[in-house]
Amino acid sequence: MLMDLPSDEQLLERVQNVAIEILKVKREEVTSGAKFIDDLGADSLDKVTLLMALEDEFKESISDEEAKELTTVGSTVDFIKRKIGGIKQ
Amino acid sequence: MRKTVAITGIGVIAPNGCGRDEFWSNCLRGLAVAEEIPPHWNAYNTYNSRVWAPLQLPDWDQFSLNRAEKMQMDPVQLLSLACGEMALKDAGLKVTLRDEKKNTFSIEGIDAFRSGVFMGTGNGGLVSYTRAQATHVLAPVKKALDNMQNTCALPDSMPLEFSSRFNPFVVAMTMPNACSAVLSIKYGLAGPSITVSTACASGTSAIGQAYRAIASGEINTALAGGAEYLADPYGGIFRGFDTAGTLARGDGIASEASRPFDSKRTGFLFSAGGCAVLMMEDATQARARGAKVIAELVGYSENCDAFSIMGMSPEGDHVESMYNTLFDSSGFSAGQVDYINAHGTATLLNDEVESRIVERVFGSRPFINSTKSLIGHSIGAAGAIETAVTALSIESGKMHPSVNLTDPIRPLNFVVDKPCGYPITLALNQSFGFGGHSAGLLLKRPSPQ
Repeated sequence: MLMDLPSDEQLLERVQNVAIEILKVKREEVTSGAKFIDDLGADSLDKVTLLMALEDEFKESISDEEAKELTTVGSTVDFIKRKIGGIKQ
Repeated sequence: MRKTVAITGIGVIAPNGCGRDEFWSNCLRGLAVAEEIPPHWNAYNTYNSRVWAPLQLPDWDQFSLNRAEKMQMDPVQLLSLACGEMALKDAGLKVTLRDEKKNTFSIEGIDAFRSGVFMGTGNGGLVSYTRAQATHVLAPVKKALDNMQNTCALPDSMPLEFSSRFNPFVVAMTMPNACSAVLSIKYGLAGPSITVSTACASGTSAIGQAYRAIASGEINTALAGGAEYLADPYGGIFRGFDTAGTLARGDGIASEASRPFDSKRTGFLFSAGGCAVLMMEDATQARARGAKVIAELVGYSENCDAFSIMGMSPEGDHVESMYNTLFDSSGFSAGQVDYINAHGTATLLNDEVESRIVERVFGSRPFINSTKSLIGHSIGAAGAIETAVTALSIESGKMHPSVNLTDPIRPLNFVVDKPCGYPITLALNQSFGFGGHSAGLLLKRPSPQ
């Protein structure tokens, strides 16, 4: 993808915004290392909702396999970065 | 003692308008909505009917709906919530946030445990099921086609349209009772939460059940109505009705396809969907809080012709029996009815039977029209939308024209060409559904306060 890619900070902010919107947590809680389930109080339903919201936000599909690695805010940002950057693992 | 039931709010979304003001003004000016079916549907089948009444879904962001709700609900549930919200606002009721994460509210000034929800739907979230099934089946098909490396392909006219994600909420999106449940959850209404499915009579049946629950004193307040959404991506639902031979052919001008009670009728105009929700209250409660009463509900009856799953009994005795129960139980008589909002589908059989029984029981005095002449047939929503029309007719003292009625099959007092003004005291809305269901609601001008 040759178009301008968002910066790491922009990606982090968008992932934070989605987490805040879905989980109704405070911005200061949504640190890069925050775990969705253990730190941000997400239950299994919230986790699925979060995945759907991330797909909607970034217009990218996330497979069930890929979803397993999205445990923290930071790992999600890294994943999105690879995904929209077109870098395949 | 039976309590008087008041309609204090109306929320409606139909092919001819969103919100009661836009909807009602378009009804009164006789705006008929119909157009050719989506061209790509023709890639899958050759239909007898060529027309439908499309539904423009509203911008959901104008309602209290968040991103999660929009992703996890079928349009039929979103329509229910949007119309419920409009009905509450119309009734002058205020809500306060109950749970930010769930985006739920409480209604100020009502007893939540004595408040119920009664919704009718013919098919619930059927479209969400068709979408999930498309993902289930077509995702591997698409992958297989891609692996053939262009040695074969589908024509452009047959796009493989499906969501990449099999929606994990598909069960909740599909279940018919979600129409009521989402409203109960949204507003914390902890009384009965009932979904009625009596096909084309569902909306009328649901409002009837709510009427009975309030009139008997079981509850004080109800949100009640009907919702339907049938616009699946491939037109398979349309095909189901089409192959049953029930739909208007639409060979000429699309807006002239829906012709209830006309000698040239060919079937009903398939509607993509719609919804109406009424705020209903014990009239004493409504007046105590200073609410404006749009109309009163004063009677309801229902029965079944016990005849055929898809064909109305041609004798129509069950309809007459329904009237007898309706008038006996309400204390009113057929001679007092000023206006009938007919079921009026424009199928050959319905209109023949309905008009014959109406003439036999009511004569040619009451005004009569069919809202389906304007917006087609929205199945489970139809009876609720038509109850809203009946209430608005009483409130405004005007009845909308029944369009495309150039050669009536019976000399009834049809409202044609232009709206008709009359100070309606008593009105009847009636609906009949596949399975043999009949339902009739009596509405009355509010008593002086």
